[in-house]
Amino acid sequence: MNPSLKLALIVLIALEVSFAQVWSVNVALCVVSLILMLWHHISWRRLLWLTLVPLFFASTLVWSLMLRGNASDHFLWVLFTRMFVYVYMGGWFTLTTKPLWLTRSLEQNAKLPSKFAYGFLAAFNLMPKIKAEVATVRAAALMRGEVLHVWSPRLYFKVILAAMNWSDQLAAAMTSHGFVEGAPRTHAQTVPLIARDWWLFAGSLLLVQLGMFIGLP
Amino acid sequence: MATVTVQSLTYTYPKQSRPVLDQLSGTFPAGKFSLLTGVSGGGKSTLLKLIAGLLPTSGSAITFDGQPLSAIAPGKRASTVAMLFQEPSTQFTMDTVENELRFALENQQVPAAEIADRSAAALAFIGISDLTHRKLMQLSGGEQQKVALAIIVAMNSDVILLDEPFASIDPPTRLILLEKLVALCTERGKTIVLADHDLSGYQQWVDHLAVLAGGQLHLLSAAETRDRFAAFTPQHLRLTHVQLPSDQLTVCLHGDQLGLAHSDRQLLTPQDLRLYAHRTTLITGPNGSGKSTLFKALVRLGRYQGHLTYHDTDIQKIHKRRYARQVGLMFQAASAQFLNVTVAEELALSQKYGNRTYFTPDRIQRLLEQLNLAGRDDQVLYSLSSGQQKKIQLLCMLIMAPNVLLLDEPLKGLDYASIQAVIHILTTVQRDLNLTLILISHQLSGLDDLVDLHLQLADRHLTYRGVSA
Repeated sequence: MNPSLKLALIVLIALEVSFAQVWSVNVALCVVSLILMLWHHISWRRLLWLTLVPLFFASTLVWSLMLRGNASDHFLWVLFTRMFVYVYMGGWFTLTTKPLWLTRSLEQNAKLPSKFAYGFLAAFNLMPKIKAEVATVRAAALMRGEVLHVWSPRLYFKVILAAMNWSDQLAAAMTSHGFVEGAPRTHAQTVPLIARDWWLFAGSLLLVQLGMFIGLP
Repeated sequence: MATVTVQSLTYTYPKQSRPVLDQLSGTFPAGKFSLLTGVSGGGKSTLLKLIAGLLPTSGSAITFDGQPLSAIAPGKRASTVAMLFQEPSTQFTMDTVENELRFALENQQVPAAEIADRSAAALAFIGISDLTHRKLMQLSGGEQQKVALAIIVAMNSDVILLDEPFASIDPPTRLILLEKLVALCTERGKTIVLADHDLSGYQQWVDHLAVLAGGQLHLLSAAETRDRFAAFTPQHLRLTHVQLPSDQLTVCLHGDQLGLAHSDRQLLTPQDLRLYAHRTTLITGPNGSGKSTLFKALVRLGRYQGHLTYHDTDIQKIHKRRYARQVGLMFQAASAQFLNVTVAEELALSQKYGNRTYFTPDRIQRLLEQLNLAGRDDQVLYSLSSGQQKKIQLLCMLIMAPNVLLLDEPLKGLDYASIQAVIHILTTVQRDLNLTLILISHQLSGLDDLVDLHLQLADRHLTYRGVSA
């Protein structure tokens, strides 16, 4: 499916799920996302993470509401399953969408300015660098007798400083490879946006609406 | 072919009063290989960035065959001028070699059908077709520089600027890159300007020298260039009293089958390595051979093969916090060391946890004076020049006085007077506190008094050298 449409679909469904209170639709969405993830050969390790983390948060949320609230069982179920909808749909999206392909699609199909499209991609590619920087800052602090924790402002000050430096470097890198803001570009690869994508998009949304009507209490 | 003309160019960095380039004029002739030299911090990088359009210039101080860069259509700018950076990993936007090439060619509005062929031809010209699908961040520095050059070849840029491109590159890769650059110059008529503060190993390759000094540019003729090269003698390591380690020395750090690798390239074949306590050891070796990687491994910031022990305890089994106080690293980049904003705050942090009995406020004040840094307490660290940053960084790490202090290029970018002061301070403090100093340095003059042991990294092996070697 076209990445931009896929993103739009997921955002729309997530928005709708946030306001609707139909747990059967939530379960259906979870099951569909799970099947899609299995279909795309998700690793068991990743699936386990995607299940355990929301399980923990959903359980604690529901548990605290049970102890201290007067929410109905129905509402508790809605809350519990909602968490899984977000995580599983997000899991399916990230599993099946390559960042560069999404960037190209946002640039070509969604007509997003190329500055934003490639800025997003570059930030994504920066992740491993940020990790290494955090490790270096913490080591530098230890050598000076300071322990920097995840919540130490000094750690963030340093990382933000480094990130500002990188953003300058990145701007220079893009310029030196011919990128000019707002200038027309050609596309080495065209991201197709075909009728089937629109049918899938509209069909999925329609199914969710039907589910909402039928499942309404 | 394009001639680069610079006319009365003045450039001052924001928040600084003295211009780094002052009414600079000069010409880089078309189709020639010019070597731009000058002291570090003299403005070489700034000049190149200005020519490349990476820093804003006013009006038409810089022209390519008479045209300023701003007058050239956006899609044609990269085919006019392109730049290869000093730090290899900072010049890419994409994840893989192929995608970066596509990105660059798309920016030039090359028709989609031609992109694949042009990319392949450029990679073949540099001889790295096998890297096409590799991830850029997993390549070695040398490979990244080759890719960066291949991209410039694909963009078909008339003027190629290179800012100390071999700073972290091993000698064989450097040779390949120089050969390709000369081929681009002679066969394709490219104008090449390469900046380096060290003249060694360039004589046979370049057409002429351009000297940047005091904010002014002087282009030397072919004859003057020849004389200049003839008068230049590369820095030689003169160590008159280093000795092979004797049995009486205490081993502080011991590597058992210690090996180092960068992605898939082996830098150090597994070997036995002993580093000795209470001595000053100098590690030398070609750029990119793995010296800094060794330091990172020693402070547990990088992976290594085999075992590393500190006074017979595996360093992985020592509490991180305790170990960091025993073995400290002065990073090559000064900014990596700083945790505060002003000079005074940074020094105060070191005083808080460091050796307070030796480094009394009086002594620190004296050291600051020796380093020509007195009276800068309230200055923001990041607004200091790179040399001043380096000196503050050194002072901060010395005050911490860890048993073992690793110094990665402590003299880099310092002027002559500062080098003398730093070496004097290092010698004194090492003797007074009986510290273990291990240093990597490309700046070799003046180290004789300081160094006791010399460890050479060559052919992926670290060996101790005596006086004769």
